[in-house]
Amino acid sequence: MATAVATAPLAGHEAVAARYLEVDPVYAETRSIRLLGFVFFLLSDCVLFGAFIFAYVYLRISAPTWPPFVGNHRLPWFDTAFAALNSIVLFGSGVTMHFALENWKHLNRQKFYRWLIATIILGLGFLLGQAHEWTGVLRGGVTWPGSTMGASFFTLTGMHGFHVFVGVCYLTVLGLQARRGIYTGSKYFGLTAGTLYWHFVDVIWVVLFTLFYVW
Amino acid sequence: MTEAQIEKIIALLGALLVGVTAAVQLRNDWAAKGLDALVTKVLLGLMAVGCVLAFLAAINVLGVHA
Repeated sequence: MATAVATAPLAGHEAVAARYLEVDPVYAETRSIRLLGFVFFLLSDCVLFGAFIFAYVYLRISAPTWPPFVGNHRLPWFDTAFAALNSIVLFGSGVTMHFALENWKHLNRQKFYRWLIATIILGLGFLLGQAHEWTGVLRGGVTWPGSTMGASFFTLTGMHGFHVFVGVCYLTVLGLQARRGIYTGSKYFGLTAGTLYWHFVDVIWVVLFTLFYVW
Repeated sequence: MTEAQIEKIIALLGALLVGVTAAVQLRNDWAAKGLDALVTKVLLGLMAVGCVLAFLAAINVLGVHA
């Protein structure tokens, strides 16, 4: 393999794949098993969100009016403009995390740390935006115990926000581990898993944004 | 200009920037193989869809309630 790499210089994805093949076969096999396990973890999280999303959709389509009435007061719609802005902050963090991993794969450590820090900052920005959004929703009279709309909204966005918070902590730990030299140019499964998790959190938000703000 | 209008303009520009970047990254990664690459491509594609939704919401095509 080393001869093949030496005679034909590789670039891009091929270079990254060739580095994997140079690693000991035990690691390559372990990595495949870990990756499969991590994908199953993400799928199990999909089931968790799916159950709550199904409950929300059921409650909404079976309600006589939406937003529902609480007494004589009809609850307000959620703020689409701010949610669109906050969504872009989260989606932007997905792109920066993708750049971080790509730079790690191509052995550009400085850029990796810059993009990772940008991702963490954008993740924190999204959480602050969510706190602002929750404050506005509560001011509008939508509360957790007060209506099915509030219960669904706070449960689902709260669960998602918790996932984002865990993701921010996870990425911070990954950055510190990378700094300590735990990952190398050919062994970086933790970073791959972190990136997949962060993309997953983004995609869950696409669904929640559609259900709460677009529908 | 109202606060909502400013938010929509920033969301609009952000959706364009992030959506195009996600689409370009998706195209660059199209040839990558393996389970992680496959999952990344699916998730990047869905994120690009999210940008389209945010864009449409910012220009009042979606999320306008009477």
